[in-house]
Amino acid sequence: MELNTIKDAFDRVVKKQKLSSSKSHEVIDHVGQEIEQALAKFLSTHDSTSSIDQKSILAELKLKLNAISPVQQFEGSQKELNQNLSKYPKLLERSFNPDISKAYRNVDFDFHIVNQIIANHFYQQGLFDLGDSIIYEAGEHEATVLKSQFLEMYQILESMRVKNLEPALNWVSANREKLKQNGSHLELKLHSLQYMEILQNGTQADALNYAKTYLAPFAFLYKEEIMKLMGCLAFRGRLASSPYSELMSPTHWEKSTDELIQQFCRLLGQSCKSPLSVAITAGFEGLPTLLKLANVMAAKKQEWQAMKQLPVPVELSKEYQFHSIFVCPVSRDQGSEENPPMLMPCLHVLCKQSIMKLSKSSTRTFKCPYCPAEASVAQCRQLYF
Amino acid sequence: MEMNSLPNGNSTPSTPPVPTTTSPPSSKVGQLAESLRLEHQFLRVPFEHYKKTIRANHRVVEKEMSSVISGVSDAADRDDLSSDEAVNHLNSLVSRLQGLKRKLEEGSRVEHLQAQRCRARLDHLESADAENLSEWNNMRLKRILVDYMLRMSYYDTAVKLAESSNIQDLVDIDVFQEAKKVIDALQNKEVAPALAWCADNKSRLKKSRSKFEFQLRLQEFVELVRAENNLRAITYARKYLAPWGSTHMKELQRVFVTLAYKSTTECATYKVLFEPTQWDHLVDLFKQEFCKLYGMTLEPLLNIYLQAGLSALKTPYCYEDDCTKEDPLSQESFRKLALPLPYSKQHHSKLVCYITKELMDTENPPQVLPNGYVYSTKALEEMAKKNDGKITCPRTGFVCNYKDLVKAYIS
Repeated sequence: MELNTIKDAFDRVVKKQKLSSSKSHEVIDHVGQEIEQALAKFLSTHDSTSSIDQKSILAELKLKLNAISPVQQFEGSQKELNQNLSKYPKLLERSFNPDISKAYRNVDFDFHIVNQIIANHFYQQGLFDLGDSIIYEAGEHEATVLKSQFLEMYQILESMRVKNLEPALNWVSANREKLKQNGSHLELKLHSLQYMEILQNGTQADALNYAKTYLAPFAFLYKEEIMKLMGCLAFRGRLASSPYSELMSPTHWEKSTDELIQQFCRLLGQSCKSPLSVAITAGFEGLPTLLKLANVMAAKKQEWQAMKQLPVPVELSKEYQFHSIFVCPVSRDQGSEENPPMLMPCLHVLCKQSIMKLSKSSTRTFKCPYCPAEASVAQCRQLYF
Repeated sequence: MEMNSLPNGNSTPSTPPVPTTTSPPSSKVGQLAESLRLEHQFLRVPFEHYKKTIRANHRVVEKEMSSVISGVSDAADRDDLSSDEAVNHLNSLVSRLQGLKRKLEEGSRVEHLQAQRCRARLDHLESADAENLSEWNNMRLKRILVDYMLRMSYYDTAVKLAESSNIQDLVDIDVFQEAKKVIDALQNKEVAPALAWCADNKSRLKKSRSKFEFQLRLQEFVELVRAENNLRAITYARKYLAPWGSTHMKELQRVFVTLAYKSTTECATYKVLFEPTQWDHLVDLFKQEFCKLYGMTLEPLLNIYLQAGLSALKTPYCYEDDCTKEDPLSQESFRKLALPLPYSKQHHSKLVCYITKELMDTENPPQVLPNGYVYSTKALEEMAKKNDGKITCPRTGFVCNYKDLVKAYIS
């Protein structure tokens, strides 16, 4: 983008404005001086005042001021400024998209829902003040928000930050079964962190005790990890130069914190990324395409407001791809339950309807559109993505 | 540079080393540029504000100066002025000029601050690049949230968010302060601040053929009728409504009929004119005019981006029970918002691995289990490695060997 052109244009506006303002100062000073000179004359002739002198002083002043013609002077400097003031917005309109609401569908966007989404966004980020503030100001006291849940999460995280693992371990043991279902090793990781802390700051007996009570139950499942942890005992006091120095790395704390956030959100039925943030950033990427589309459709007098599906793809980055969408390369139809993707013996994939067409409703074998191989309907099988 | 770090000892040292930093793919850069082109309002609003201040300051100077000049002229043309009176008169003009200078300096200070704000925004736009994009977009979301809150009149939260994120120069809180006064007054059924605002922006409102002032006048008239102050209503109409007659006769006539009825009328056409919702309507109308004047979109930016994002994300799969939680559309609130929006469209298959949630492409191709279920090579390789070559389908429990898998070719 030619931001430099815009910057230059803006600098010109500021320059003209400064010029105009110093002109104003100059003219005001000038007028002021003339009046003061007239005043001085008055005072010097004060004793022998004749009304003739007085009149002539004032008349002279009037003439002088008319000669300065301040208003015209202002107009001159203002004219150039005005030109620049109206040029700049036009430049902005040319360089930017002046109306990004062209692709907006005029539907009632329920602001209660939007407010609730915003409040939850703040809570999820740990910005409890802001969440409370919008709930209060918008009067959304009925909104279902996840404040207490996220409050619990941030209390756990805050404790973890000062190396107090107790709240985290309490939460993990309360949710042990669910975490196991998710295939999370968070409990072991937290206990390992605790054990390493004791090993570095406590006595050997403490560390051994801790390992017996809390690490032993994991011995079967995580043989290697436990072996390493126990190996550390031999190097107590000089762990940093031991083969296990890696276990002291602060990244273990960071990773466990991240996993705790992930698992906590998952058990809440939430994503660990704010959904508002995901939807809006998808909008940042998608809106330019939608605006182009809206322009084209307006030119063709096609209806934007009512269509059920966008006529063209809006390409988003990988991270916004949440679902498998199969598009048949022959019919360009999107796969569905009635029209699922089918794998042919040559390992190419078409949708069922295309295969039915090619095989004349499974009455004969057909050639794959992508390779020379022949196939029959019976040889094709449905795929599940 | 150390010689031993070069791959070829005999290469001439003058050959410039091949740059190792990979520039981001041009499509990303193009996409960013496109996305930045959406930021018209971001630059336009502070500029309109700046322009307004410049014009207002200039008007003050012009007005004061003309009256000083005519003050001198008047004095010169009078014959009955005593010497003392003349001196006093000139002294008062001098102090008036000094007052004007002070005003001008104060005005310049404001202009300077507003120019700085315009610059800060240009710099902020310039600071966006492919590397810091996610951080920049985070900031962008905050700006958009402040915009939403200001438009919805959640001023306190808007200010808190702006202050806590240190983005005061990047949001338009002070612009909306002006709107707040008018809106608060209208909500209290007072039109004076709104009328003053119309007078301030007379020429621009006229240019856009705004009906806002007319609507305010109509409302005042209706209020007089409601108070059964018919005579005053008629004088009011003569003075303030008649000038609109040439362009808005129909609406005028309709309102005049209320003189015949009373505020208790049951006649639907006229009853609505007395309803308190008319005031809400005025607030909405004002917000529209206000946004137009500053070059803002009429809808909050949040709604615009949210709609665009949800349209791009919306697929039939989003509304199924097993929709992944990473998808905003797995949440009831987002689903409801997206209901009236169109589905997205794909021209090519986009396949996401059920296990790793990663895209399956040529680098990570899809593989088919004998039961027809498809997963990414990466996920299956890892599973096979951990389980001695055994694969268990996570959705059906079907067990097979890694060597039973076949690669599917998706075009």
